[in-house]
Amino acid sequence: MDWKIAELKELEDKIWRCTACGTCKTAYDYGPPPTFGEICPAGTEFGFEGFMASKGKIAFARGILSGELPWDDELLEAIYKCTICAGCQNQCQLDHKPYIPEIIEAMRRKAVAEGAGPMPLHKNLLQSMKNYNNPYQGPRRVRTDWTRPFKKAGKPIKDLNKEPAPVLFFVGCTGAFNTAARAVPTATASIFQKLGMDFGILGENEICCGSTAMRVGDSEEFKRVATKNLETFKWLHDERGVKTIISSCAGCYRAIKKDYSLSSEYDKVMEGIEVIHTADYLNRLYKEGKLKFEGELHWKVTYHDPCHTGRHLNKFIIDEEGKQLWKGAYVDVDQSECLYEQPRDLLKAIPGVELVEMKRNRANSFCCGGGGGVMTGFGEWAAKNASLRIQEGEDTGAERMVSICPFCHFNLNEGAKRIGSQVKVHDLTELIDQVLVGRSDD
Amino acid sequence: MSELSSLQKQHAPTITDAGKVDSVLRELRKIVGESNCTASKHIRYAYSYDLSFVKPKLPDYVVMTETVEQVQELLRFANKEKIPIVPYTAGTNIGGLTIPERGGILLDLKKMNNIVAIDPESHVAVIEPGVSHAKFADALYKHKLRFGWPVGPPSASVLACAISHGIGGLNAKYGLNSQEITSMEVVLPTGELVRVGSCAIRNDAWHSCLPLPQLDGLFKGWLGSSGVVTKIGISVHPIPPLLKVFTVSCENVEDMYSYMLNLSNYEMCDDLTAVSWWLAQVPIPYPFKPKPNDAPEWFSFATTTSWTEKEREARTEIWEKVFEEEQEKGTSIKQTVYPEEALRGRTQLPSQVVGSTKNYCKQGGAGISWPGTFTPAKVWAPVYNKWKDILIAHNLSPSVRMSMYRGVHYGMLRAMIPFNKQSDEETENARHAIVECLKVDLDAGGIPYKPPIDFANEIIKRADPGYLELLRRMKKFLDPNDIMNPGKLGI
Repeated sequence: MDWKIAELKELEDKIWRCTACGTCKTAYDYGPPPTFGEICPAGTEFGFEGFMASKGKIAFARGILSGELPWDDELLEAIYKCTICAGCQNQCQLDHKPYIPEIIEAMRRKAVAEGAGPMPLHKNLLQSMKNYNNPYQGPRRVRTDWTRPFKKAGKPIKDLNKEPAPVLFFVGCTGAFNTAARAVPTATASIFQKLGMDFGILGENEICCGSTAMRVGDSEEFKRVATKNLETFKWLHDERGVKTIISSCAGCYRAIKKDYSLSSEYDKVMEGIEVIHTADYLNRLYKEGKLKFEGELHWKVTYHDPCHTGRHLNKFIIDEEGKQLWKGAYVDVDQSECLYEQPRDLLKAIPGVELVEMKRNRANSFCCGGGGGVMTGFGEWAAKNASLRIQEGEDTGAERMVSICPFCHFNLNEGAKRIGSQVKVHDLTELIDQVLVGRSDD
Repeated sequence: MSELSSLQKQHAPTITDAGKVDSVLRELRKIVGESNCTASKHIRYAYSYDLSFVKPKLPDYVVMTETVEQVQELLRFANKEKIPIVPYTAGTNIGGLTIPERGGILLDLKKMNNIVAIDPESHVAVIEPGVSHAKFADALYKHKLRFGWPVGPPSASVLACAISHGIGGLNAKYGLNSQEITSMEVVLPTGELVRVGSCAIRNDAWHSCLPLPQLDGLFKGWLGSSGVVTKIGISVHPIPPLLKVFTVSCENVEDMYSYMLNLSNYEMCDDLTAVSWWLAQVPIPYPFKPKPNDAPEWFSFATTTSWTEKEREARTEIWEKVFEEEQEKGTSIKQTVYPEEALRGRTQLPSQVVGSTKNYCKQGGAGISWPGTFTPAKVWAPVYNKWKDILIAHNLSPSVRMSMYRGVHYGMLRAMIPFNKQSDEETENARHAIVECLKVDLDAGGIPYKPPIDFANEIIKRADPGYLELLRRMKKFLDPNDIMNPGKLGI
């Protein structure tokens, strides 16, 4: 299986499309009314221009490529002190816009390839992936711990290694191993059971999607697990009748949907398989009138857009051949695959829930601070950044913050703890599970 | 590109001794704390270049201050040690103004970003240097107030633009943004804190520089070479609810000038601007491409705002009268539809479209510079025609803008020149063309604003000796050790 993952040198022409104008540094919309917000977690925290948005990262990329910035500990740390949230990308209007996260990751890939990177804590994570097929050093057996209550209740979750089902619930490592985030797979499976869905999991045989490895620049490890997963998906489709892969993890969803498409075999392997996030799937059912809610949740909630289900799913229209503008021109952005409205529609549908927006939302959402390997590499800063987001939520008057990413879920919780906030963090599935009427209840 | 390395070898930084470097850094840490200063090369590197043709150069240190007291302490230290200081806010100018000529300390002021006050009754705001146009626009709108937003990135500094005689979308009505400054707080190169304007007399009065002697002039247009401005009072204005933009086209610059002169006599526009066909494109064509034969060479937008329908109708009546008069003169004027995205980019400010340089240098590749000048309106046409010849001869688009300032006597004439910064040859080609254009303008009575050193040198060549002597004396008086952004004024 061939993979088309760009080296930094291949992106040099794109890098030189940046003018250093700094439009990337602040989230801004003319309106009216005009809106402004800080958008770069690293810039907000560290301040120096090199840390600031894509303008700063492009400077590093130029210096690395020209040889003017040889690897040293400080440079290495600086290129890893970025959540790759793509908030800066959302502001940029120039031709390198579609490639901004790619340029940042390509710097990291170069660092890894040349033996300089990643950061020491990332090395532990990558070793864990090699040893355990997950970044949490979790023994394979633990991966199914969250399913015990289902078994106990006499509603075991189907094991697709043994039985067929049309739907694979791809749980993801964070939901399975990170105890604070286990509510996410638990609520998801509970919802699926209430809906009477025929679904299954890979259980102990599920392996990491590879998102974290890709984000920290280890493309070889990413390719290893991604290739294995694609082979599994093909087998599941051919042998177990899987037609849909559902994930409640924003990171897994983005990886399977977007990063895996860098494989030369992607279209062939995934033919007949739809990849969908739980929020999108449930919203589809809701629109079809297949979700029924009972009771009320008298909660004032705000919604946090994860980067992986938002901006990262942008599709950029590029004039590759130069037929419309010129070769390589960025033409426009298609946001139709970004999951901005689906979770909001579901929240608004839950009786009693009052949804209030934070100032920075949707495409200009402020990252929780955990992405791009930051939660592993710089945990204290990740939590500090999450506390800024929690504070923003608190400022709306909301009592709860809802999201659709177990990674954000964990980090936002850390942020809330850090500042002693009363804001409680939930995954959307937890709310749905509380009010959803099961099929047997009809 | 190894240009920087070779350049740094030729011009060694001011501070080369390793022991000295360490002791400087130790002092800086005492002043601003460890997380706010650095000598790390990768951080300095990000400050070594900007959008312009000015060659990259590294500062020796980067320091971020958070308080006025820190700025004072820093300047006292730098003055004692005779270390250059380069004030920096967003680095969005296109004249290399924050690229250090002699190394030293780059003073990044972005953390001083408080909007200290907005007085919606007096129409005055007090802001720090790190306040961006985006932040200010957001805050002002809550009071239904506006400012003369320039066509810079939304992240650019309001204060830096204003003290550098930047322009904005209300130029025709209120003049330059520097003319909107009502008071100043400044740290002198020797570390003393001074105030000019009404706030010098009463601490909380920021409403006017007049009728006191205009000492604010000591810190406007000096390119950061006379002190660090830590606060300004600035006029802000109510937002009239009704917008009307009049757009026309002409076949030539002479006809366009005739129209602008006529309309500006009525002093009814917020902004009265004309742009050549090349500048009206998003983006500006790079390299030069000929204008289609059936396209007019000039477009104009005249932005007007009104409080009532009747007022708008009256403005429309005046505009129609002007238009008819121009037609009767036999000029090529036509009502036209201004290119949609370009119009949006120029009237919906601050703008990511223009501010992001999307239309300026998207096609060129990383580079943008200008001959940006204040030029008597009556010589716009001959200067433009010469610029056009020069630029086309260099395979560059004559993407020129003309804007009237408060009245009709002079205005802004500039050409935004994109170029491929990845190529040394193409960058140098652009620099040559731009400097040639500048010489033509200077010889016609124009004066460049926010000038790169190439321009400053041309100004000095032509300047009256008395003026130069006064300038040197003032500089020496304010900055006895020449630490503030040294080399930028060309004196």
